[in-house]
Amino acid sequence: MTPTAKTAKKPADATPAEAKDAPATPVTGRVARVIGPVVDIEFPADAIPDIYHALTVDIDLSAQGEDEGILHMTLEVAQHLGDNMVRAIALKPTDGLVRGAIVEDTGAPISVPVGDVTTGHVFNVTGEVLNAEDGETIEITERWPIHRKPPAFDQLESKTQMFETGIKSIDLLTPYVQGGKIGLFGGAGVGKTVLIQEMIYRVANNHNGVSVFAGVGERTREGNDLIEEMTESGVIKQTALVFGQMDEPPGTRLRVALSALTMAEYFRDVQKQDVLLFIDNIFRFTQAGSEVSTLLGRMPSAVGYQPNLADEMGQLQERITSTRGHSITSLQAIYVPADDYTDPAPATTFAHLDATTELSREIASRGLYPAIDPLASTSRILDPRYVGQKHYETANDVKSILQRNKELQDIIAILGVDELSEEDKIIVARARKIQQFLSQNTYMATQFTSVPGSTVPLDETIEAFSGLVNGAYDHISEQAFFNIGGLEDLEKNWNRIQKEIG
Amino acid sequence: MGGQQRVYRQRIRSTQSLKKIFRAMELIAASRIGKARDRVTAAAPYAKALTRAISAVATHSSVDHPLTTERTDTNRVAVLVVSADRGMAGAYSANAIREAERLRERLIEQGKEVVHYAVGRRAVSYFNFRHREMAGQWTGGSDAPTLETAREIGNTLYEAFVAPAEEGGVSELHIVYTHFSSMVSQEPRVIRMLPLEIVEGVAEPGEDVEPLYDFEPSPEAVLDAALPRYIEIRVYNCLLQSAASELANRQRAMNTAVSNAEDIIRQYTRLANSARQAEITQEISEIVSGADALAAS
Repeated sequence: MTPTAKTAKKPADATPAEAKDAPATPVTGRVARVIGPVVDIEFPADAIPDIYHALTVDIDLSAQGEDEGILHMTLEVAQHLGDNMVRAIALKPTDGLVRGAIVEDTGAPISVPVGDVTTGHVFNVTGEVLNAEDGETIEITERWPIHRKPPAFDQLESKTQMFETGIKSIDLLTPYVQGGKIGLFGGAGVGKTVLIQEMIYRVANNHNGVSVFAGVGERTREGNDLIEEMTESGVIKQTALVFGQMDEPPGTRLRVALSALTMAEYFRDVQKQDVLLFIDNIFRFTQAGSEVSTLLGRMPSAVGYQPNLADEMGQLQERITSTRGHSITSLQAIYVPADDYTDPAPATTFAHLDATTELSREIASRGLYPAIDPLASTSRILDPRYVGQKHYETANDVKSILQRNKELQDIIAILGVDELSEEDKIIVARARKIQQFLSQNTYMATQFTSVPGSTVPLDETIEAFSGLVNGAYDHISEQAFFNIGGLEDLEKNWNRIQKEIG
Repeated sequence: MGGQQRVYRQRIRSTQSLKKIFRAMELIAASRIGKARDRVTAAAPYAKALTRAISAVATHSSVDHPLTTERTDTNRVAVLVVSADRGMAGAYSANAIREAERLRERLIEQGKEVVHYAVGRRAVSYFNFRHREMAGQWTGGSDAPTLETAREIGNTLYEAFVAPAEEGGVSELHIVYTHFSSMVSQEPRVIRMLPLEIVEGVAEPGEDVEPLYDFEPSPEAVLDAALPRYIEIRVYNCLLQSAASELANRQRAMNTAVSNAEDIIRQYTRLANSARQAEITQEISEIVSGADALAAS
């Protein structure tokens, strides 16, 4: 990887790195300054390590009375400061690191194992296996550096095909693209992680290629649950998991997505497979960037984010793409700070995605899950050319009814529902049914609701919603639509309700 | 962030202007309601006298007048619904229409066929929307009904009642209106106006004992002459009661609407304030941290 890839990071006065050919004896430097996760290191003038090169240092923790022994730490060069100094980001906590400690240049960027050995295993950011049994060793045949170039423009996939999920609201309103990038936006606690796990359950189980999961700065418990679940269902055999969760320093959270992506790229480029890449949560990547940005000496930009926010995001997102015939379909959860979609972090991510699914707190608070906001969510392929005329029209009709209902809510709030005209009353009634029908029983929620999940074929979804829009189900009461799958469930539910009412 | 604030401000503005309209409508309704009540009371003595006269004829003569006997040649039944011309009266029109629908179901259960007559735009649009034929409709001036309208309605109904079965005659005549009991309570009611029901029973021995009558030229002629007038005055009375109820409902609905609007304004003002404060805080912290970063480097 050449330093030119991130010129923004390089101060003008930096001397270009010279040491192209790695020396036989490792080059060593010494720590000059430690500022939290950012460490300044002095190197010999003729052997300054390149930007992105990995450095290693050993911290002797036993001297501090802790019996953890020696901590082996990796750092990554981020800047050349001049005066023989480099500024590096630590991938482990820097507690116990002292000035003068000897730092070794590995002469190469951080690399991770790739290939079939990665499936069935859990890795950290530097490619160490976390779930190896005692005595188990993994034969690593190949390692790839985590910083790579995005595929060339002429290599990109130009075909567009829909990717069916069996979730009504997603298939109808934000159809996903095979080999596309899908974002799940949502504030805290509206069900992003649950939805991404639901998608893993639905998609990875029926997927004959491999999957890669990147846990970026989310709860460790959730990661654990996921491993447990995957082991039970056996999906783990064709899945590689990379974790850098909340407890890790920002350097790790900033790089863990790249580690997972590198593994996915290998499957795509070398093994020519279709890959599913799940990232939970891409916002934590941005957040980690902003945590180290000021310490690296950059001026904070809007809302305190790093000034190279868009660049950093672009570096990552441009690599997640499908090349001719081989796809990476990625699903990314994106946390929206304070439910504010204009926040620079989610706003920057928007532009990269093919389909955006927004989860809304208001819908979640009404108990309708998945809490997909039908008006804000959209997809590039919601277009008659890709999904067909009927699908497109149904989706638009549903949206227009919901939009009209939203406008009428103000009148209802002030004057009451009796003031509406007859047409509007019907629209409100249908909109309420549509809202209920957009909720669905999911596999992940089985343990909470004791209702098993359902998969609804796209044709049935379209038929059901176009019937709803045209008033074919006006006689069925609203609660019959709640938390069900397709038309068959609706009929069953309605019969049950009618029996209960008597 | 700034966009958020603008959205809130705009909603506050639009709700404020709505509130002004509602306040004005409340005041208008309040000023009219007194007059409407006076008209109800003013019409009462005549209605009472006429009712007494009719009941005198009906009870003291044993004539078999078509207006007092059940018709059996047709199962058609006329239902007149009195509603408002405009909305903004809460559930007033909806309640009257709901009552009419209940009556309709009851009648259909009895094997009758319902012929609709509608007063007020709300009822007319209700039937139009459901593609139900109306035999007659009167719109305009629902909050200040005139005797002319009442006379026209009365005539139409009377003619329908006396018409032969094959020409669309009806066997019964019902009116659904909103009874004005007091400023706080008005409820929709159904009265069966024709054929007259002769209440068998002992009249209460009050102070005004009904005299014995002798009818000239004949009881039939008297009934023929008095009944159209009776229908007319009963319809007029219903219209007046409904008008008073409409105004009372409107005043109450608008009062609630004003306070709802105030609630919304308060809510949005809080949101707008916190959006504004958040923006200020953010800008300050950005400037300060920017300056700090510059100073440190």
